[in-house]
Amino acid sequence: MFFGYLDAGSGSLILQAILGGAAGILVAFKAWKARLVGKKAVADTQADIEPTDS
Amino acid sequence: MHRADPGSFRDPASHIVFDGDRVVRLLDERGLQGWNALSETSFFARATAEGRLIGAARLDRAPEGAVGALEHPRLRFISYPFEWTFSMLKDAALLQLDLLAEALAEGITIKDATPYNIQFVSGRPMFIDIGSFEAYSDGEPWIGYRQFTRQFLFPLLLRAHVGIAFQPWLRGNPEGPTAAEMRSLLGFWQRLKPSTLLHVSLQARMEERMSGAPIREQLKTAGFGVELILANIRKLRRLVERLEWTGSAEGWIEYESCRHVGRDREAKSEFLREAIEAHKPRRVIDLGANDGHFSEIAAAAGSLTIAVDGDEPVLDAIYRERSQVSIVVSDLTNPSPSQGWAGVERPALAERAQPDLVIAYGLIHHLIYTASIPPSAVLDWLADFGCPVVLEFVSPDDEMVSKLTANKTEAELHPGRSRIEFEEELARRFETTGSRTLGEGTRVLYRLRALAG
Repeated sequence: MFFGYLDAGSGSLILQAILGGAAGILVAFKAWKARLVGKKAVADTQADIEPTDS
Repeated sequence: MHRADPGSFRDPASHIVFDGDRVVRLLDERGLQGWNALSETSFFARATAEGRLIGAARLDRAPEGAVGALEHPRLRFISYPFEWTFSMLKDAALLQLDLLAEALAEGITIKDATPYNIQFVSGRPMFIDIGSFEAYSDGEPWIGYRQFTRQFLFPLLLRAHVGIAFQPWLRGNPEGPTAAEMRSLLGFWQRLKPSTLLHVSLQARMEERMSGAPIREQLKTAGFGVELILANIRKLRRLVERLEWTGSAEGWIEYESCRHVGRDREAKSEFLREAIEAHKPRRVIDLGANDGHFSEIAAAAGSLTIAVDGDEPVLDAIYRERSQVSIVVSDLTNPSPSQGWAGVERPALAERAQPDLVIAYGLIHHLIYTASIPPSAVLDWLADFGCPVVLEFVSPDDEMVSKLTANKTEAELHPGRSRIEFEEELARRFETTGSRTLGEGTRVLYRLRALAG
């Protein structure tokens, strides 16, 4: 699906899951956790390739 | 030869052009896919038959540069959300939610959520942007949710919970208030209501924390599904349906109780009917429409009638009575200008109205005495419509003028207010084709024809 010409807003997108009720809260939590894991993986990769001062 | 609609360009998949009087929607590949998906649903046939969705027919041949083309019926008048009453925006919001829910049930979504996609036809909201529909992919969230809150829900909350008119805000910023702005406007206890806690406070917080973060794929992987969108829509619908604005009845009663209203009403109605019979206008604009009585006469005679007034409660009451009249909330001393992208996206009210007859009953004394517009400037403005005018003159010794000038001195008022001076100014701009003196002689009706050049 084309993501549209509209800026949907990341916070508003994840909020939609919460607004969907109890089942949605779990979905929102999983998505939020996946995002944190993704961010950590990116940070770890950057740490590996960046030269360190000695 | 096609002429582009200056208000239709944001969606690359679909936009409107005019071919003479015909309204044509040009589609690219993606737009055509959306149309193909929509046109096969029972939802489309049902919603168009009920007048909730504009009709569309595929053209055999698409103009050069387009993959497909549709033709729509031409709307006779366009109004904008900043010209609507509370109940109009509320009904438009409910229509947006209902159409989305019905479309999703058949695998179609609406990719945006703006009231600019809705127009009022015969007094009821109609969704006019066929290009907004496209096939729904499993796991995708509702892209238009944030836009729905900013352009529908927050303006309604602004009026219902904070007591602030949404029209000036939407005219100043058509995107509507942000969640953070709404949070600032709500009082402490209002922020804690379940409805505002989630849609305003939590959305503002999450927008601040997650600005620009990619989340769409994570939502899909986490199991986001259409049932969550539908649950959100059901709750939003309940929330919008319960929003009420209690200002409605007050303005109505106040106007009805004015002494001159009942006294002169029948004579003014008769004078207007004579003018309609003489000019047979296709389009009428009622400036300072008040309770819409004279607009209804013009509409009953078959004219497209635009009722303009700055008094939202009175116009809201007209709308709720399911009037056929086109309603515009606008202060006539500051009417809707041409605005939007390049200053032409949303044409000015006068450009959209294009009347064949102007009704200016019970109006000019408010312009002259309250808004301090010189009488000659009021007549210049009326003459600029370039069509016949039915005008009520109110002399300086009228009871209502006495009230309006109770705290003004003669030096603070413009000259040219007496009947003799006023008629001299009239003669410079109009030919008077009829006149009638009302009641106690302080009010005079004129039927005027603008002089050429």
